[in-house]
Amino acid sequence: MKHWLETYSIIDFISVGILLTAVTLNAFKSIESYVKAYTINSWLLAGLIAVVGVLVNESHLYMAAVLTVLTKGVLIPIIIWRIIRRMRVAHEVTPYISNTLSLAISGILVAVVYASLQGGIFVTGFSRDALQISIAVILISLFIMITRKKALTMVMGLLFMENGLFLAGFSLTFGMPTIIELGVLFDMLMGVIILGIFAVQIKRVFASADLDKLTVLKG
Amino acid sequence: MVVLNTFIAGSACILFGAIASLTLLSKARNYSYLFSSVGSLLFLAAGGYLLYAPAFAGAAIPVTSNFSFGFSFDALAGFFVVLISIVSLFLSFYSVGLTRGIRHGGYLSFFYHLLLLSMYGVVLSSNIVTFLVCWETMAVASYFLIVFDRNAEAAKAGLFTVVMTHIGTVFIIALFLVLARFTGSMEFSAMRSAAASIPSGARNLIFIFALIGFGTKAGIIPLHTWIPRAYPVAPSNVTPLMSGVMIKTAVYGFLRICLDVLGPGPEWWGILVIAVGAASAVLGILYAVMESDLKVFLAYSSVENVGIILMGIGASMTFRNSAMHPLASFALAAALFHALNHALFKSLLFQGAGSVVHAAGTRNMEQLGGLLKNMPWTGALFLAGTLAITALPPLNGFVSEWLTYQALLLGFKSSSVVVKIVSPLGGAALALTGAIVAAGFVKTFATTFLGMPRSEHAIDARESSPWMIASMSLLAFLCLIFGVFPGIPLMLVSPAVFSITGSSLDLDLHGSMVTPQATASLSTTALALSLVLIALAAILFVRLAGGRRRTVIADSWDCGIPALNSHMQYTAAAFTKPLRIIYKRIYLPNRELKVSYIVKPFFVRSITYGGEITPFFERYVYEPVMRGMHTAATKIKLLQSGSLQLYLGYILITLIALLIFGT
Repeated sequence: MKHWLETYSIIDFISVGILLTAVTLNAFKSIESYVKAYTINSWLLAGLIAVVGVLVNESHLYMAAVLTVLTKGVLIPIIIWRIIRRMRVAHEVTPYISNTLSLAISGILVAVVYASLQGGIFVTGFSRDALQISIAVILISLFIMITRKKALTMVMGLLFMENGLFLAGFSLTFGMPTIIELGVLFDMLMGVIILGIFAVQIKRVFASADLDKLTVLKG
Repeated sequence: MVVLNTFIAGSACILFGAIASLTLLSKARNYSYLFSSVGSLLFLAAGGYLLYAPAFAGAAIPVTSNFSFGFSFDALAGFFVVLISIVSLFLSFYSVGLTRGIRHGGYLSFFYHLLLLSMYGVVLSSNIVTFLVCWETMAVASYFLIVFDRNAEAAKAGLFTVVMTHIGTVFIIALFLVLARFTGSMEFSAMRSAAASIPSGARNLIFIFALIGFGTKAGIIPLHTWIPRAYPVAPSNVTPLMSGVMIKTAVYGFLRICLDVLGPGPEWWGILVIAVGAASAVLGILYAVMESDLKVFLAYSSVENVGIILMGIGASMTFRNSAMHPLASFALAAALFHALNHALFKSLLFQGAGSVVHAAGTRNMEQLGGLLKNMPWTGALFLAGTLAITALPPLNGFVSEWLTYQALLLGFKSSSVVVKIVSPLGGAALALTGAIVAAGFVKTFATTFLGMPRSEHAIDARESSPWMIASMSLLAFLCLIFGVFPGIPLMLVSPAVFSITGSSLDLDLHGSMVTPQATASLSTTALALSLVLIALAAILFVRLAGGRRRTVIADSWDCGIPALNSHMQYTAAAFTKPLRIIYKRIYLPNRELKVSYIVKPFFVRSITYGGEITPFFERYVYEPVMRGMHTAATKIKLLQSGSLQLYLGYILITLIALLIFGT
C-alpha cells in the first residue's frame, strides 16, 4: 500500500517548487530577492529530504534535513545579508540581457534537459522528475551567473547550483553518508564566507562590484 | 645477496650525503660530497661485480598492489654503473675543494646528490615507470643545478633545457607506450622476450622516437642546442657530471631500447645512426672551434664525442643486421670504450676549465692567457686531458678512436652496398673531426695557458686547492693507464657487449689488439714503450753529441717595439680564422669592419672589427618553429577575454552539448 506522501505526489510537488524558485531568479531585479528565493529553495530542499526520510524510514536523513535548514536555510542567508549591508552597493543585479529573454532561455534549458533525459536513464531514484529538475536547476543557476554583472550574484548562482547538485546526488542515492553531507555543508559555509570576503575586496579595489572590471587582470 | 646490499648501502650513502648537505654547518657543507665518494666506491665495486656475475632481477619497492619500482642488474647496467662511479668518485673530491665557503653550498650539494642517485636509478631500473621517474628526477635536479647562479643567463638556459628535455621525454614516453602496447608488459625483460612479435611499422616508430628522445638528452645535432647553453652556466663541479655522465645515460637508454630490447633491425637504422653521428661529430666540433668561451667550447666538444659514440653504435647495428656478430661486438666495444674514455677526459677537462673559471673569474679565453705560470698543476693536467681528447697516443682517446675507425672501415666487409659506401664515409668524417679537434684544443690550451695574460683576471689567478688537483691527477692517471693498457677498460666493456650482441669480444687483451678478420693490429703498450725509448734516446743523443750547453734567459724578439704586451699575441679568433674561411658555407659568418679616420686614407683613428657566425639551427630551425607557436598562441588567446562570465559560458555550452549529444 502506498504511503500517503507518495499518493499525493508530495515529492514531485516539492521538486517543482525547487525548480520554480530557481526560475524566478530570472525575473528578480534586486539582490535581496535572490537571497529570499534561496532561503525558500533551501527550506524546500530540506523538506524534500525529510519527506524521503519518512518514506524510506532512514533516521540519518532527518539529521541531514535539520542540518540543511540550519546552514542553508538560516546561517548562509544571514551571512549574505550582512555582506550586502557591508558592501553598500546599489541593489540592482544589472543583467546583461532583458528579464523576458532570460526567462525564455531558462524555459528552453528546462525543455532541453527534459528532452535529453527523457525515459529516465536513472530509474533507481525516488522520483521520476527529481534528476531532471536538479540538472535544470544547475543549468539555470549557471545561466544566471553568466548573465549578471555583480560579484554577489555570482555567489548566489553558485549557491543555487550547489542546491541543484545536492538534489541530483540525493535523487540518485537516497542521501549520502552523514559525514559527507556534513563535509559538504561545512564547505559551503566556508565558501560563502570566503567568496563574501572576495566580493568585498573586489568592491574595495575596483570601486565597483561589477565583474567587467576584472577583464584588466588577464595576462 | 652481497651485491644487492652493496647497491643499497651505496644509495644510502648518497642519500646521507643529500641530508648532510642540508644539515651540516654551512662551513663544513662542502665535506658532504665525501658521502657521495663513499657511495660511488660501493657502486663501483657492485657494478664491477655485475659485469662478471649472472644477471638478476633484484630489488623492488612496492607502490601499489600490482605495481612496484623495480630494479634489475645485468652487465650493461653494470658497465654504466662503473662509468658513473669512476667520474663521481673523483668529482666528489673536486667538489669538496671547489665549493668551500660558497653561498648556498648546501643547496648545490643536495641537488648534486639527487642528480647522482637518479642517474644510478636510470641505468638500474627494470621497468618503464621506474625509468621515467628516475629520468625526470634527473631532469629536475639538473634544472635546479643549472639555475644555481640565479642570473638572467642561467634562468634562460634552465628554461631552454627544461623545454628541450621535456620534448625529448615526450618521445621517450611515446616509445615506451608503443612498446608496452605491443608487448603487453612494462618490464624491460618481458619486453625483450616479446619484442619479436612487434610489427615492423611499430618497430620503426620506436627506433625513430628513441633516436629523437634519447638524442635530445645526448645532444645530437640538431637537438643539441640546450647543451652549449646549459653546461657553461652550471656550477663547475656539476658540468663534469652532466657532460661526462648524464649524456651517457641517454646512450644507455638508446642501447637498452634499440639494441637490447628491440634486437636487430633493418639496415637503414644503422646507416641513419652512423649519419647522425657523423653530422654531430663534424658540426659539433666545427661550432666548437669558433667558440672563445672555454666551457661552451667543451660543451660543443661533448656533442662531437656523442657523435663518435653513435658512429660506433651505428656500425654495430649494421653489422648485426647482416649477422656479422664478431664485427658487431667489435664496433659496440669501440663505442662503449669511447663513452668510458669521454667520461674520463671530458670530466678532467671540465674540472680544469672549472678551476680556471674559479681562479680567473671569466670563461672568455680572450681575457685569459699565461695561466700556466700561476697554475702549473691545473695547466699540466688540462694539457693531459687535451692530449687524451685529441686522440694522441699513448692516451686513452687514441685507442677508442682507433677502434672506432677500424669498426667503420670494416664496414667495407659488409654484404650490403649502401653500408660499404656509408660506413667508410663515416670513417672519413671521423678523420676530419679528429683534425679539427686538434686545431680546437691547440687554440684553447694556447690562448688560456700560454702567452701573456690578457686581463687583470688572468694575472690574479691562483692555483686551485689540493682537493681539486688530486681529482684531476687521478683522472689523468686513469687516462694514461687506459691508453697504455687498454686491456683493463676492455675487460669492463666486453661483458656489456656480450650481453647485447650475444657474441664475445674477439680482441686479444694481453698482447696487441687485432681487429676481427685481422685487418689491423695495434699495441699501445709497445707504442708507449717506444715513445719513452725514443725520448730517452733523444735526451741521450743531445747529452752526448751536444757538448757543453749554456742557458741564456732573454726577452723575446719584439720587432724593435719596446715592451711586449698581450695585444701582440695571437687571439683565439685569429687562430681559427682559416677555418672560418674554409667552412664559410657552414658558418655563414657576418663580418663587420668599421674604420674611422683622422685624415682619409692615411691616418686611422680606430678600427672596430666585429665577427660572428650564424647559429644555423637556431635561426633556421628553432626560430621559425617558435614563431609559429607564438602566432598560434596569439590566435588561441582570443578565447581568453578575461571575462568571468564568458568562461562560465564556455562551461554552460559544453554542459548543454554533452547533455544533448552525450546521452
